[in-house]
Amino acid sequence: MADGSTPPDPEPGGPVPAVRPFLVTAGRVAPDPSGRTMPVETQVVATAEGLAVLDRLAFEQHDIVAACRIPQSIAEIAARLRLHLNVVRILAEDLRTAGQLTVHVPDTGVTHDASVLRRLIDGLRAIPDSRGVLRDTD
Amino acid sequence: MTPTEPATRPSAAPSAAVRPPLPVKMVIAGGFGVGKTTAVGSISEIEPLTTEAAITEVAAGVDDLSHTPRKTTTTVAMDFGCITVDPTLKLYLFGTPGQERFGFMWDDIVEGALGGLVIVDTRRLDDCYAAVDYFEHKQIPFAVAVNAFDGRVQHTLDEVRWALDVNDRVPVIVFDARERGSVRDALLVVLEQALARTEG
Repeated sequence: MADGSTPPDPEPGGPVPAVRPFLVTAGRVAPDPSGRTMPVETQVVATAEGLAVLDRLAFEQHDIVAACRIPQSIAEIAARLRLHLNVVRILAEDLRTAGQLTVHVPDTGVTHDASVLRRLIDGLRAIPDSRGVLRDTD
Repeated sequence: MTPTEPATRPSAAPSAAVRPPLPVKMVIAGGFGVGKTTAVGSISEIEPLTTEAAITEVAAGVDDLSHTPRKTTTTVAMDFGCITVDPTLKLYLFGTPGQERFGFMWDDIVEGALGGLVIVDTRRLDDCYAAVDYFEHKQIPFAVAVNAFDGRVQHTLDEVRWALDVNDRVPVIVFDARERGSVRDALLVVLEQALARTEG
């Protein structure tokens, strides 16, 4: 992601947010200029250290660490805290570097494994339909 | 808040109690008003969440509301939900805008997806071309699901298949986005595709 063309920001002339989203990231638009983008389902968890210093964290950093007492995906954090996805990516990477969060990027080799697919299929089959009827298994 | 645990190993793995599940995702694509959010909401264990991407202003200019009288706003950039399969495995379902102009959003969301479901409204077949092209190009397993609005479908599945020009191996099914069991079965069709692919 080279700077300039990204991010998918409002069209010129559109409503301008009170605080431009990337102000909180000091203008950075990608977590790592060279690295791959953190997938939206990446899980983020607060560390004991992060929770210990929670009161000293400011604004978005505070909210993210507090929200991640239970594991959250990047997408959930963005939605629940009403932050731009890339803002969450950048701040999560900062907080990880500071030891206040752990960031678990899913390994596509693992997620696409047949055993995972089978567990998913079995798990979905166990979901009853709206009338409480299980799917035929034949 | 508890200084009793001076985090001596700041980068240590989280304790077993907070070990996150393995997250996997599937993508639900299609044009505006086609039933993506309905489908996600039918099966998600949480109310669908929405990310605040700045896509809304753009969408307002290209969205054709004339065929979807009940959908008055398109404030949604991306709705998603999730299903906790077990404590170690969680499926996320992401609804993505289907119009070509939003291509830039796609890689960001779709990269690493197990599969896709392209929802089709037979009154507006062309709305889903971009999604079909995308999954084919990316070689992501997918199925085409015709949403049976009001229980009716205006074209046969063969006609839909012909119009979309999809490969014979791509399943084309009818489903009802409002029915949990129907959404579940549609997702299963996609996952079976993905599994068949791993088994070569």
